[in-house]
Amino acid sequence: MKQVASTSSDFSRLRVLTIVPERCSGCRTCEIVCSIHNYKVSNPKKARIRLLSLYPHPVIKMPIVCRQCKVPKCMDSCPSGAIYIEKGLVRIDETKCVGCHACVVSCPFGAIYVHADMIAPFKCELCGGDPQCVKACPMNAILYVPEHTLGQSKRLIETLKYAHLKEMEYFEHGVEKKLSYAEIETGGLREKEKKAKSEAES
Amino acid sequence: MTDGGMIKGGYLGNILHIGLTEKKFWLEEVSEDFALKYIGGRGFGAKIVMDNLHEGMDPLGPENILVIAPGVLSGLYVPAAGKTSFVSISPLTGIYADSNMGGMFGVEIRQAGYDALVIHGRAPEFSYIWIDDDQVQIRDASKYRGKMSTSTERELKEDLQDEEIKVATIGPAGENLVRFACVNSEWSRNAGRTGMGAILGSKNIKAIAVRGTKDLPTYDLDKLVKISDRAYETLNGHPMMKFWQEEGLMSVIDYANTLGIIPTRNFSDAHFEYADRINGEVMTSRYKIGDSACYSCPMACGNICLVKSGKYAGTVTEGPEYESAAMLGSNVGINDFSAVLRGNYLCDELGMDTISSGSLVATVIEGYERGLLSLEDVDGIALSWGDDSSIMMLLEKIANREGIGDVLAEGAKGVIEKFPHLEPLISHVKGMDQSAYDGRVGVTMALAYSTSDIGAHHARAWTIAKELEVGANWTLEEKIDLVIYHQTVRPLFDMLGVCRLPWIELGFDENTYAEFYTAATGVEVTLDDLLEKSKNIYNLTRAINMRMGVTRTDDHPPERTFNDPIKTGPHAGEHMDRNLFEQLLEIYYQRRGWDKDGRPSEEQLHECGVL
Repeated sequence: MKQVASTSSDFSRLRVLTIVPERCSGCRTCEIVCSIHNYKVSNPKKARIRLLSLYPHPVIKMPIVCRQCKVPKCMDSCPSGAIYIEKGLVRIDETKCVGCHACVVSCPFGAIYVHADMIAPFKCELCGGDPQCVKACPMNAILYVPEHTLGQSKRLIETLKYAHLKEMEYFEHGVEKKLSYAEIETGGLREKEKKAKSEAES
Repeated sequence: MTDGGMIKGGYLGNILHIGLTEKKFWLEEVSEDFALKYIGGRGFGAKIVMDNLHEGMDPLGPENILVIAPGVLSGLYVPAAGKTSFVSISPLTGIYADSNMGGMFGVEIRQAGYDALVIHGRAPEFSYIWIDDDQVQIRDASKYRGKMSTSTERELKEDLQDEEIKVATIGPAGENLVRFACVNSEWSRNAGRTGMGAILGSKNIKAIAVRGTKDLPTYDLDKLVKISDRAYETLNGHPMMKFWQEEGLMSVIDYANTLGIIPTRNFSDAHFEYADRINGEVMTSRYKIGDSACYSCPMACGNICLVKSGKYAGTVTEGPEYESAAMLGSNVGINDFSAVLRGNYLCDELGMDTISSGSLVATVIEGYERGLLSLEDVDGIALSWGDDSSIMMLLEKIANREGIGDVLAEGAKGVIEKFPHLEPLISHVKGMDQSAYDGRVGVTMALAYSTSDIGAHHARAWTIAKELEVGANWTLEEKIDLVIYHQTVRPLFDMLGVCRLPWIELGFDENTYAEFYTAATGVEVTLDDLLEKSKNIYNLTRAINMRMGVTRTDDHPPERTFNDPIKTGPHAGEHMDRNLFEQLLEIYYQRRGWDKDGRPSEEQLHECGVL
């Protein structure tokens, strides 16, 4: 059989991190593995992906990480030209960085982080093409996908929604009837009828 | 800790003492002997509490101390390493007490550079403690007075202008010194039992906010990562894992009901006919809106639930887990899961232990139903099983100490003092209300409750499943050894600052924790070495309890266990035989190496550092 080259390092298609907040449990395993991989220390405060957790209203747990913008605001705002793009990856050149934090406050997603031990801010650089957080996430809430697939889940929902609206026509005892897809799930009955029926049965 | 010693990592090396009375802070160096002997977490706490013991002291007085100690693995890349122990002398029982919470609070304390916090004295004004790495401040908290736990946390985060800080708070119940008040962090991580919230309240402390940014020292990080990768792989590949993430501890409702050990109507029964209305399936299909996990835990046993309709619509809470669902559900006769959620929400926000609350509320309902309490005694509320409105009212009354609530807020002992005729109805050991596993089934659970060092708490030795599943034909000695093994291995998790659930629920190999300890600290140990130390801690806490006046007669299960047979379910008719129990206790003491009155031997006391 012919071998297909597929190791992530030489895979040329650009891939990005994307988050499914609904799946996140807030365990912060992504933070600890990130700090270990990038700085060889156990310190969630040095992680380049960081969880923000809000409760009780609204309840949301969301890891925040760089999206590798094509026209990065951080790069625009950097006064010393320390931020550059390399093979689709937005990187910070620590030797040029002056530590003014302009990039940190200009990032619309807040995905650039600061720690007192370091002069330069830091951000996700995708662990050289093999993001550790993706492997470590027990809830599968961090995905590493080719960028053209972003938004597909929304498109899928949109399509299904349309399918639900669609009606089909059929004849019963010579009478033309209409049934929408949404009603098929309830056995052809509308919610109210179904409830009345189940109440009558019980 | 000096260089060149045995310990080469893991520990931060400092314990932060906070003297509230005179606003003094000082650091105590953790000596190598101390660290090796007591490991951390609960172990550190027990020793520090022992050293500070005054006979006859008031747990709510300024002379009592509160130790907050994460473990040596807390915050590292280790599965479920987010446990923090709160150790003190309990206002509920008057003896040694510890309670632990998951989440991130302990990790933050360690990142601030401390192996433990020790809180002394009493603040002259209502305050909160703000620990910002090396800076410690006592600040005015008058604007947070009377606020619910989560709102206090929210406002503190806004006032201190940092979303990443970790905050532990008490609710109104803690401020009002309800003797089973809890400490709450991150919405729903609670150090629930033994009244740690009341201790903070007695010290005039509303909250502790921590910001820590330091690296956690690890001796051999590569090795730790290697062991952990393997551990996560094993856990994530476990066939039960998905189910755990889905239902978490709520699956135990069905399990306990099938086995016939679920607390029902104040432990009068052990089988609940409506269990299928408050079980995990109901939760996942109708209420659950998300998962929640403690630090670094793949199991995510927390369930975020929302009530979408009915009179409690809009209630959003994390949990309940089994204990809360059973104590605020079947034990008070509630068969509507939205009411269980409401009870759980109220207890969390008001800052009370769900187990003690559920148990005491059930006692009052039973007392009233049987005519032992008059309508006047219960403030004119016509109580009945499953009447959720009056139960919610009672919970709020407890937290605010109004009317009957003021009596219940004093805990089991206080209720008995006020209404002595209720004594046979209250299921408690040493003043601590029994957890949600019936002690009449099998023999090990009654023994575990009786000999637990903090009172009737299931987490000390949860032996009932094993006894019923595989140990039916075991000899008494084997069963007692099971209790002792649990009482030995479980403290170890608290000492290391990790959660026990991967071990007890997914069968994760406990030997791995010795490997973790070695990788983190550089000290070569085996599981047996660690268990030896854990055994010492049990002797130590026993010694503390003896000093506080515990005798053999206190090592007995609730009266109900002996004289009120289970009514329905697979174990109908069963109860514990008094003579059998005495025999069990005798053998238990023997196997522990204690004397006939349950006193540890002189050698053991030397070993654990009491003498």
